[in-house]
Formats: sequence, C-alpha cells, structure tokens
Amino acid sequence: MRRLVSLVLSAVAAAVLSSAAALSAEAVKIGVVLSLSGPAAVFGIPERDAIQVAMDKLKADGKLKQPIELVIYDDKTNPTEAARMVTQAINNDKVVAIIGPGTGGNILAAGPLALRMQVPLLGPAGTMAITDRKNEFYPWVFRVAPSDRVDVKVILEDMAKSKAKKIGVFFQEDAYGKTGVDFAKEIGPTLGMEVVETVSAPYTATDLTAQATRLRNAGVEAVFLQVSISSLGASFVKAANQVGLSAAAYANAGLAQRSFAESVGGDVDGLRVLSIGNLPYDPSDGEAELAKLLKQAGKVPQGWGELVGTNGLMTVVAAVNAQGDKEITGVSMRDTIEGLCGYPAFARGKPCFSKDSHDGWAEDSLVITELRNKELRTRR
Amino acid sequence: MYVLTEYIVRGIQAGSIYGLLALPMSLLFATAGTIDFAVGAYALLAAAVATIVAGPLGIAIAIVAAISAAAAMGVIFLVLTRTGTRDHIVFALASFGLAVAIASFILWQFGTQAFVRASFSQFWSLGGIRISPQGVINLGLGALVTLLLYLLLYWSDLGRMMRAAAANPTGAELAGIPVARIQFGTYLAGGLLGGLAGIMILYSAGLDFTASLSLTLGGFGAAIIFGITSPLRCLLGGVAMGVAEALAAGYTSGMVTAMVPFLFVLIVLSVSNIGGGAMAGDRP
Repeated sequence: MRRLVSLVLSAVAAAVLSSAAALSAEAVKIGVVLSLSGPAAVFGIPERDAIQVAMDKLKADGKLKQPIELVIYDDKTNPTEAARMVTQAINNDKVVAIIGPGTGGNILAAGPLALRMQVPLLGPAGTMAITDRKNEFYPWVFRVAPSDRVDVKVILEDMAKSKAKKIGVFFQEDAYGKTGVDFAKEIGPTLGMEVVETVSAPYTATDLTAQATRLRNAGVEAVFLQVSISSLGASFVKAANQVGLSAAAYANAGLAQRSFAESVGGDVDGLRVLSIGNLPYDPSDGEAELAKLLKQAGKVPQGWGELVGTNGLMTVVAAVNAQGDKEITGVSMRDTIEGLCGYPAFARGKPCFSKDSHDGWAEDSLVITELRNKELRTRR
Repeated sequence: MYVLTEYIVRGIQAGSIYGLLALPMSLLFATAGTIDFAVGAYALLAAAVATIVAGPLGIAIAIVAAISAAAAMGVIFLVLTRTGTRDHIVFALASFGLAVAIASFILWQFGTQAFVRASFSQFWSLGGIRISPQGVINLGLGALVTLLLYLLLYWSDLGRMMRAAAANPTGAELAGIPVARIQFGTYLAGGLLGGLAGIMILYSAGLDFTASLSLTLGGFGAAIIFGITSPLRCLLGGVAMGVAEALAAGYTSGMVTAMVPFLFVLIVLSVSNIGGGAMAGDRP
C-alpha cells in the first residue's frame, strides 16, 4: 500500500513538474507586420483577422508542437514605418520570423533589415522584386502569395480565349499598376494579343470618364484592369458604361474583393476577376473552414487577404513544428522554410519552397471568377 | 476636334466636384482668413454615412454628420481663439489634425469598403457625347451654390459682416458684429458644402477611406488657382482643374497624367504672380 501511495505521489509530482516546465517554456515569438491603416489596409485588416482566428483554432486543436505567440504591428502602408516595425519586432520582441510587411514596397524596405538581423520575412505580396535572386537579402524573404507575373499570365490566358486581339489596360498609379502593364505588354503578344492603349489614374481619382473615353477611342476589344482599390475599379466600370466602352473587362486579383463585387451595379455582370481562391463565394474545403472560423469570430470574409495571411501563418507553424523541440532561431526558421513542401494550409494549391524558389504558391491557388448578381462566382 | 470637345465636356463635369470642395475654403478664408483642411474629411464622412443609410433619409443624415464634424472644427477654432491664438496657420493645422481623426474614425467604423452608389443607368446625348445626368446635377449644384454664395458674400448684410470679420476682427467686434458666431457659422456652412460634395462623389465615381486628403488638396488647388476670395473664381478653378485632368488623361500617358493638373496649378500661380497677382485674387 505504501509502495502504491509513493508511486502515485511520484506520478503526480512528475506531472506537476512537466506541466510547470511546459508553462515556463518560452513561446516562439512571431511578428505580424501588416498594413492595418493606409491604402493597403483593405488587405491588411482581413489578413490580420484571419491570422488571429486561425491561430486560435490551431491552439484549440493542439496542432502546435511548441507554443507560439503572435506580436502584431501596423506598418501604415508606409515603407519607413515598415522598416521601423520590423526593427522593433526583432530587437524588442525577439521574434524569429515575420509575416509581412504588408506590401511589396514595404517588404523591399524591410529586406536589408531581415538580412542584417537574420530573421525571415514571409511577404503576402505579388510584387516580383521581393523574391528576386539578385537581391542581397534574397535568402531571407519568402512569398506566401502567387507572384504578379503568375497572376497576369493566368488572367491574360483567359482573356485570349475571347479571341480579342487589341487590348487596353487601365491601371492604378503605383508599383502594382505599373508592374501589371509591363507584364501585359510582355505576355500579351505570346498569347496573340497586343496592348494598344494604356490609361491610368491615382487611387483617389474622382472621375474616370476621360480614361474610359480614350480606351473606347482606341477601339480595344478587351480591357485589362490592374487595380487593387475597389472604389477605383467600381468607378472605372461606371465610367466605361457611361462613355459606351463595351469591350469585355478582365480584372487582376487586386479587385477580387467583396467590396468591389458589392459596389458595382448589376449591369457589369460577366466581368472576369482573377482570385486567389474564392473565400467569400465559392470556397474550397479549406477555405470554407477558414470562412466559418471568421464568421464565428463575427468577421465577414472579404477575399484573398485572409488566405494569404493564413498562408504566412501556416508556413510559420509548419516550420516550427518541423523543428520539434529544438531551440528556434531566425536562422533555423529560414533553413526549415526552404525545405517545406506540401504542408497544410487553408488556401487551395500546394505550397512549396526550396533554396532556388522562395515563391511558395503558384497557379494552382488561383481561380477565374465572374461577376454575377454582385457576387464573384468561380467559373467551372 | 470632336475628341478634344469630349474631353473638355468630361473635364467640366468632373471639375464641378473640385469647385464644390473649393467653395467652403473660399467662404472661410473670406470670413476668418484661414483654411479648413478637413473639408475632404467632411465629404468622406457624408459619403460613408450615405452608403450605410439608403435614400433621401441617408443623404439628410449624411449632411447632418458632415455639419456636426464641421461644428467640432468650429469649436476647436473658438477654443483656440479664446486662448489667444491669432496665427491662422494654427487653425489650418488643427483642421489637418481633425481630418486625420475623422479618416481614422471612418476606417474604424466603416472599414475598408468602397463608398459607391449607383446613380443613372440611362445617359443623355449632347452632340453625340454621352452625358451622365449625375454629371449635370453636379455641375448645376456647383453653379447654384456658387451663385448663392456670391449673393450672400457681396450682396447681403451678413456677407458684409463676414468680410469685415476677416478683414479686421477687432474693428468688426467694436462695430457690434458677432465675429465669433459668424466664424463658427462659416465652419458649419463648410461642413454642409463638404457634405454635399461627398454625396455628389458617392453617386458619381465613389471613394474610400483614403480619399480625405486628396479631396482636400483638389479643393485647395481649385480654390487658389484663380483667387480664393471669390466663389466664382473657385468654381472656375475647379472646372479648370477638371479640364486639365481630362486632357492629361486623354493625351498623356503613364504617370505623367497625375502630374499634369498640379503642374497646371503651378504654372497658373506663377503666371498670375508675374502679372501682379490680379489673377490670384488680389486687388488690381
């Protein structure tokens, strides 16, 4: 009996000690530096919301081999602020990886810091330059969304099926817009199409009828929209309707937002929009699970922002879990991410990184959607 | 020639929005000698509210919201004045601060959604140029408000008191003019006009939470180009900017398009200075 009691006491003591050890084990800190204000907040806020609900779910399901703590920052859609927040996350909060910053320009601004402080960045942006191998900081930056080149190629391939030969481009005046135009001019001819006219506008233009008139006068047979501001996209659609520009419109993933779909009238049904998955309207199984989590948290699924945000989180979790109970550092995270392939994520497609490719998501994560009754429905 | 005419017509329609945003700046400058840089924020607030609440009731609530925000600026102005602030740049900077606060409030309360409302689906034809009735409403409203403000400022006792309050506040007070009340009322009028501009943009092109500053700058550009002291010149300035933008969009390419209207403002201001400032609104 005495032996039994001592065994029970030993077991209890062991359990208490091990749980105390687990409690005292420091959580792996991950920085989340996203654009929560400024123009890119359209994507940054859904990215943050999705990361938070997905993290709660992973914790509740016991999917973390080591505890993870997220530390969230706002880069204000500003490269200087992004660099400041990345420095703060690494120096003050000792994070070992960062999801973000929120835009291509911000990631490029933070890249040299990632190199110097040896902490990997997981960028939720399509900007080609962020994973250019010529960058000195290339080893430290990974992309958790399809690249702009992939996006433009896929939407132009769909446009080419319409037999359009002369195409026009409307783009917003920033790096995203300019990149889209350059790729369209480069990829278009390989698909039998020529860009015969390009027009642009700043984010906050109050009238786009002159731009639409110019495209109409050029006799374009299809229009490619390289825009990520939904009010700008909706404004162009209205302007095109007003001036009698009847060419079919194809939009890049920037407009795959609930806000855009709901703000344009029913008279533009048929407009094609490329999308990373289709979280709000025709979700895959993984996307449906994320949409459910968001709704449970009182959030309304907006578009692909949530998906690329969780791509970053799931990459971090896969890298932490792959390292078991080893001590985790920025260097170990970077080395592990380079070996990750085919790990679980909410977005469709098979994520895969390697030493030679820091672009984790490819064409298989994209869908072509069509605007119908203010919803972006996936084309089958 | 037809193409050029079409761009000019579209520019005139678009420019009326800038004119509407410029008018409250003109009014306040004529009354208090300062600028309210929160005008774009009043427009944004009105558009956001009218997006959420549909119909005429929504428009009414939106205008009340814009006037309330302007009232907050009016109170800030009065507090600063009572505490001895006389430097007009301080009032202008305070309005910048309020504009940022309103934009943040809108992002917090209304999120990142686009503020756009469908207007007319049928269009008129003017010599083969398709014209939106909404554009005509914008232009008509701009012209009407300009006329009313002109009559108010230059043909009414209240207008004389308003101008006196700006020219010599101390003298005006000694003459029995309620300077503080007039200036506060002018801020409210600015809220009304900014709110109207926001509603016009909501039904024309649409906007989002980032629009506040650019609307203010557009209105400010329109206000100063031909002279801030005259409502008529403000409307003309807005139309000129709209035409410059339309022509730039029609005939230039790439990033140059955005630069042209501001270049135009710069050139006009430079030329007007060479001419002794007459075009900028000074006394000839």
